[in-house]
Amino acid sequence: MNFDVRKDRWAAAGALTVALFLLAAAFAPVLCAIEGQDPYTYDLDALDSSGVPVGFGGGISADHWFGVEPLTGRDLFAIVVYGARTSLAVGAGATAVAVVLGVLIGTTAGFFGGWYDRVVSRTIDVLFGFPSLIFMIALGAIAPASVPRPLLVVAVVGAFGWPSIARVLRGQTLVLRTRTYVTAAVAMGAGPARVMRREILPNLRATIIVYATTLIPGMIGVEAALSFLGVGVAPPTPSWGRSIGDAIAWVGTDPMFLVFPGGALFLATLAFNVVGDGLRDALDTRTAG
Amino acid sequence: MRRRLAVIAVAALSLSACNANSSDGKEDKGGTEKGGTLSILTSASSVTLDPAKSQNLAITTLGLLVRRLTTWDIQPGKTAKVVPDLATDTGTPSDGGRTWTYRLKDNLKFSDGTAITSADIKYGVERSFAPELSGGLSYHKNLLVGNDGYKGPYGGQGLSGIETPDEKTVVFKLKVPYGDWPWLVSMPAFAPVPKAGDAGPQKYGQNPISSGPYQVESYQQGNSLKLKRNPNWDQAGDPVRTAGPDQIVFQLGQDSAVVAQRLIADSGEDRNAFGASFVPPAQLAQIQQNAGAKQRLVTSEPGALAYLALNVTRPGLQDLKVRQAIQYAVDKKAFQVASGGTVGGDIATTLITQGIAGRQQFDLYPADPSGDVAKAKQLIAETGRPAPTLTLLVENGATDVSQAQAIQQGLVRAGFTVNIKTADEEAVTAETTGANADYDLTLASWQPDFPSANGNIQPLFESTEVGNGGYNKSRYVNGEVDALIKQATGETDPARAQGLWAQADKRILQDAPVVPLIYTKNSFLHGSNVQNFFVAGFPAYPNYLKVSLKR
Repeated sequence: MNFDVRKDRWAAAGALTVALFLLAAAFAPVLCAIEGQDPYTYDLDALDSSGVPVGFGGGISADHWFGVEPLTGRDLFAIVVYGARTSLAVGAGATAVAVVLGVLIGTTAGFFGGWYDRVVSRTIDVLFGFPSLIFMIALGAIAPASVPRPLLVVAVVGAFGWPSIARVLRGQTLVLRTRTYVTAAVAMGAGPARVMRREILPNLRATIIVYATTLIPGMIGVEAALSFLGVGVAPPTPSWGRSIGDAIAWVGTDPMFLVFPGGALFLATLAFNVVGDGLRDALDTRTAG
Repeated sequence: MRRRLAVIAVAALSLSACNANSSDGKEDKGGTEKGGTLSILTSASSVTLDPAKSQNLAITTLGLLVRRLTTWDIQPGKTAKVVPDLATDTGTPSDGGRTWTYRLKDNLKFSDGTAITSADIKYGVERSFAPELSGGLSYHKNLLVGNDGYKGPYGGQGLSGIETPDEKTVVFKLKVPYGDWPWLVSMPAFAPVPKAGDAGPQKYGQNPISSGPYQVESYQQGNSLKLKRNPNWDQAGDPVRTAGPDQIVFQLGQDSAVVAQRLIADSGEDRNAFGASFVPPAQLAQIQQNAGAKQRLVTSEPGALAYLALNVTRPGLQDLKVRQAIQYAVDKKAFQVASGGTVGGDIATTLITQGIAGRQQFDLYPADPSGDVAKAKQLIAETGRPAPTLTLLVENGATDVSQAQAIQQGLVRAGFTVNIKTADEEAVTAETTGANADYDLTLASWQPDFPSANGNIQPLFESTEVGNGGYNKSRYVNGEVDALIKQATGETDPARAQGLWAQADKRILQDAPVVPLIYTKNSFLHGSNVQNFFVAGFPAYPNYLKVSLKR
């Protein structure tokens, strides 16, 4: 396989952006300490009497690099970098859940076939047509307060994310199962677990990597959508989606409140998509299966 | 006996476009031009049209449809007055305030043309006791003789406390003297309901028989309520309602931010509209920079009390010291900013709101508006336990959530852990007023139903209002306070009653079951064609009965 992402400038730029976001998320406390702010402390002095940030660009200053949030005076830079933590953690977590489920279900369905495969395939069809966002909103509304919100979002978003990867892996497994080296392994007495582990999964590695990468931006988007609608992570935990939802009302008076979290979400999803495309081209999985 | 912000919003409206079929530009003495289609835009998705279930103020939605024995004369710059509506006067007391006699005006008719009689008034009040029709304002229910175990007229039973010696006379017999009775008979339950037209408690509210200037043309929950003129209403006998527009259309279920944007834009049919929901803080800020819209913004005097209710039955909040610590830890300034800043309201320290007779200004927990964290920490230290983890239940609107975060960040400073739980409006109301209270803190707002301290205190703090649909959200039970409330309610001398209410105000706050946050100012926006749109001192809501359109 050819991992030479570097030949693709777009992919390289995307990978660099992703790396920057990961660093910003990982070092959010450090970055905020350098700025001297945190995402929770109110600064009412940065607001005028009607709650609008004072000063240029929504209160951009040496103290507040991205300005402040209207009505609270919380530091927008801190909110955006801590929001990166939320978005990336939920995006990665939900992707992990989806990939694990998808690999387990997809490969076993393709390998064993029979009634199990038919049940899985119909389930996948149902899930593809399922109004999952509405279901997630409903679930978010009825879940008790004792369930940690980020975990709930990861579980719910991940639980609806596996069908696409499962379907592709099932198809590829169906093909791999008939390859001669698999037949040979079976003939030599290898059990299903060994065949799966030693013969099938290694050949699916590239597909899994590419699908996982292209799933992440979708998951980040779903988390942002849930938070936008008020059923994602609970306030005051920073989230790009919730900031964007709040900022809609302020577009007329404080457009920068929308620009920073919106720009971050845009850049992050674009970068992951570009990297995913680059990986797909590099690994050439479209023809591999 | 209950009034909350959201409930009031239910009163309201929507907007729509016109099909004006009007008499052109005819002006009457009050400067009210007739004709046009007024739109009222509201976030409420439904309107309670059954008078027995309604919590409307006398001057909002239901006031357009039904008349009562008395009503409110609300005019800009003037004190709220209770004035005769169907009755010839505001009531003649006898027996030391225990018996109130009313005489109906002549030539009163329902929208179906039949005459309004005293029996219709009696029947309307009796309906308010029916369990199927609970939820309406119920100040009168504990006062009328014969109320014990009375379940409404559907079982064929009458209420012995109301007598109708002839077609024009109604006599109310009360268990205790009640000086504010003329205000109570302005409430929706005192609207006439013809027994012959009542198809049942579930059906009547879909299209009530009207006695006011308008009747229901159509009502689709979640979409719109359309009102048309009632041909049997006589302007001459009704000096309070000016009935300007030919048609009134409530557009229901509108997002309040979108409503504000539409009214700021002021184009097309929206010129003939006003918003019944408060203008959200973001749009308030926007309007401050828009001279055209600013002229059309009407902001009330400080009216309702916004407060943080502490559920005193919860383990973490049973200790008075913890509740006192919360009084100091709360950041009222941040809450005020989250409510729109200085146009959102003034910092509050008492339960009785500004503008209510007999209010005494005091502050049992003096601190900077941003709170006194050191004092709060000290009180927590005195309890010998760490500050508890608390669940704050709020509605899921943007303003509610940012207010909740303002409370959260204040309490966190003193070591509390606060988890915000959001739910939609109906779910929050059900949980906070119902029997199962799975919350420690909740945000609420209360506007008295009539301009008396009684309306500030009794519905929120009497032990009878806990968990049965009542608004004692703190679940606060104190025999001493109950006795004070009873004594003040029965006191016929206004000055002495006011003294007792002020005493109750202080006594309750000593127990710290709520944190008074701000006296809210409500801001409303109207279109450029809307006239006679104002908010007087009390209540902090526009007077729908006077609104008209420029022709």
